[in-house]
Amino acid sequence: MNTFIDFSSLIDFLSIGILLTTLSMNGLKRLESCVKAYFFNSLFLSLLILSVAFLKGETHFFFAALLNFAVKCIVIPIFIGKIIKDMKVTHDVEPFLSNSLSLVISGILIAIVYSAISKGVYVTGFSKNVLQISVAVILISLFIIISRRKAITQVIGLLFMENGLFLAGFSLTYGMPLIIELGVFFDMLMGVIILGIFVVQIKRIFTSTDLDHLTRLKG
Amino acid sequence: MVISKVASPVFKATPYITFASTVKACFLVPVITTTSNFYYFGDIIAIVYIFALGRFFTALAGLDAGTAFGGEESSREMTFAILVEPMLMLCLFTLAISAGSTNIANIIEIGNPIFTPSKVLAFAAFLVVVIAETGRIPLDNPDTHLELTMIHEGMILEYSGKYLGLIEYAHYITQMLLFTIMADLFFPLYISSTLNIQDLIVATIAYAIKMFVIGFAVALIESTRAKMRFFQLPSLLGGGFILAFVSLLTYLMLGK
Repeated sequence: MNTFIDFSSLIDFLSIGILLTTLSMNGLKRLESCVKAYFFNSLFLSLLILSVAFLKGETHFFFAALLNFAVKCIVIPIFIGKIIKDMKVTHDVEPFLSNSLSLVISGILIAIVYSAISKGVYVTGFSKNVLQISVAVILISLFIIISRRKAITQVIGLLFMENGLFLAGFSLTYGMPLIIELGVFFDMLMGVIILGIFVVQIKRIFTSTDLDHLTRLKG
Repeated sequence: MVISKVASPVFKATPYITFASTVKACFLVPVITTTSNFYYFGDIIAIVYIFALGRFFTALAGLDAGTAFGGEESSREMTFAILVEPMLMLCLFTLAISAGSTNIANIIEIGNPIFTPSKVLAFAAFLVVVIAETGRIPLDNPDTHLELTMIHEGMILEYSGKYLGLIEYAHYITQMLLFTIMADLFFPLYISSTLNIQDLIVATIAYAIKMFVIGFAVALIESTRAKMRFFQLPSLLGGGFILAFVSLLTYLMLGK
């Protein structure tokens, strides 16, 4: 098929975009910027699924891309943005480590992942690079969850991790059947809503979303 | 011109060294043709360290005059250099590995397209490097003499007359040269590999257009951004460093 766009190089670009938006979480201070980074991350993920759909020409990928866009680019960013607005916290992310140090640690994580999955791994999916990048995304977002104090940032880190897991699964299996993906998206949406309610409750009881307060036992 | 009593000959020699090293770097950078006998005298790494020579002597001269500002700004400039230099080297390594040579003329002649993930990342990091090295606004302000903000201006505060002229001229040449290197490395289109007159004319027009676009982009960044606080700079430069690092890793692992 003679296509106008080279989809396989487009996939490389999009996966690098996913990696970079995850990395940018380490350098961002404002919560709105974190949500924006998540928006772009999900947008790149949807576009990646869309380009694989064009490459393979299967219809259920189009649905998966559309669903991904609707849930992760529209519903969840609006929901988290609303929570942030309600809590009236704008940019106190307060990580345990400084920005540049956490960026360096993330770079080291990427290097470890690249060298660990470089040889001897047989990949059934469309691209080994995408698998490497998705594992790197999972580890970086795990690091973000570990190194942040605030509950809301940890929720965003968890969402990034879910994007990485989705990407890893997609690159290995060409996506699951549509009904399973529907279930996964629904689960995730419920998870985000429950976590959002938790965050608001933590804020209401402790007057802060700092999770260090949870080490004290209090009714 | 009044020269401080404590100043040593280094103070007088610095403008000449800065200017001469910048002019030397000019000979090593291809502008419209890759045919020259000079390119065998130094590769892209040599160019980086020829710039570093000028910077080193400027910092020394800042200390040499014995003023408080000079010492302060020299210290700032060196802190800056520590952060910028590895970033620049990593960018150049990506390009050099993809071309199989550190010679800038060879990199241009192989002319790999910019549209690969590693090149785009290297380009983003190189843009940060260019802004940092030329001392433009998000990192340093070349027009101010306020002690809180100046970096490059503070070191040359004691100069006047022809010395100041030489240093400023060298600074302008450095800026043009960095834009040229950027155009050479990332957009090597229409650069002639022969001395054919038609090719040279095309190359000249293409060079003018490239310079205009790069200058416009840098001016756009400068006029839409505010000057950053000095202690926030490591965050931005660390981000650029990670971009360059990921670019190199991406090239090594993805192979493009």
